Amino acid sequence: MSLVNYATREITCKIVYYGPGRSGKTTNLHYIYEQVPGDRKGQMVSLATQTDRTLFFDFLPLDLGTISGFSTRFQLYTVPGQVYYQATRKLVLHGADGVVFVADSQARQLAENIESMQDLHTNLAEHEIDVRTMPLVLQYNKQDLPKSLISSVPELEDALNFREVPSFAADALHGTGVFETLRGIAGLVLKRLSAGSGPAPAAAAAGGR
Amino acid sequence: MRTHVAEPWIEAPLQTFVDDAHALFALLLHPNGQVMGQFGFTRAVDVMAACALAAAIHASAGELGKELDGKPFREMYHAGRDRQIFIGDVPTTRERFVFLTVFDSESSLGLVRIYFQELCELLEHAQPTTTSQTPISGTSLEHDLNRNLAILFGRAPLGADGGESSLSLS
Repeated sequence: MSLVNYATREITCKIVYYGPGRSGKTTNLHYIYEQVPGDRKGQMVSLATQTDRTLFFDFLPLDLGTISGFSTRFQLYTVPGQVYYQATRKLVLHGADGVVFVADSQARQLAENIESMQDLHTNLAEHEIDVRTMPLVLQYNKQDLPKSLISSVPELEDALNFREVPSFAADALHGTGVFETLRGIAGLVLKRLSAGSGPAPAAAAAGGR
Repeated sequence: MRTHVAEPWIEAPLQTFVDDAHALFALLLHPNGQVMGQFGFTRAVDVMAACALAAAIHASAGELGKELDGKPFREMYHAGRDRQIFIGDVPTTRERFVFLTVFDSESSLGLVRIYFQELCELLEHAQPTTTSQTPISGTSLEHDLNRNLAILFGRAPLGADGGESSLSLS
């Protein structure tokens, strides 16, 4: 649910990075956190286990500056990927304005990718959101690994991208494709807002400076 | 310091609570983590982080309550050494919100609970029955987005022809 404050001309949007365990969702946020200047981001919050596996979520607030005359802020969340955190994923997905599905390109992870995509559809349905209307981009991460170990982009498109949404090959560890992915989902979310078909009644945004 | 609110109807109830309860911080948020009103924070990005965590605590406590007690826990309280935290559920006719406040020895849990109940009632009465949704102009959206993201990532933004341009954020 994007919050739009017409009085102070502020927009706040929630983006959720979704995907199977160890696909690179947190790595995406870490790369973004390292790239963005300190005055344009908040602290990255990670609710993780002692072995740095995401337990609840990672959270990174970003100030995107002025877009179409509105001061625009994005809240980036990740979900825990492991199958048994289904309830947590559903909680984090609540109120999302857009989803980045981070797929693990390793061939042996294909079934996990498909299962996670189905889990996303289930959770969206439980929030009474039609997956066809939710802004979504796909990121095929770990494309830097040897070709013998990974599925090609066309193979991943065949298996996961039935909606033919924008997709990006990536190596999130080194930043390849991370920026393009964020730009892709931000564009879809803001275009949806400008078309006046946000996922929930627009309210407003409040915050400090 | 004044409250910052997302919608005008929130301001008076929230300011009344802050003044009466002597709160150090106050946050009214949607259960999905979006801030509706705040007092005490200076940076928007810090408010967003606090809201994300408050929403997480509220959601997980709710689920835990269902597991243990058959119904969600609606209020939570933590007594720190110097500061205390109270989190409560704000049910209104139109929608449900979450409220978090931090206070010190200038106030007490009893006072906070009394003024929290008043806050719930004030919000219920102040809440408008409908909301308007005006589309945002998309004229410069793509250009602004490309430019601002490129600057955030320290890159040259894409020009209209797909080439690099040298625009800077004003």
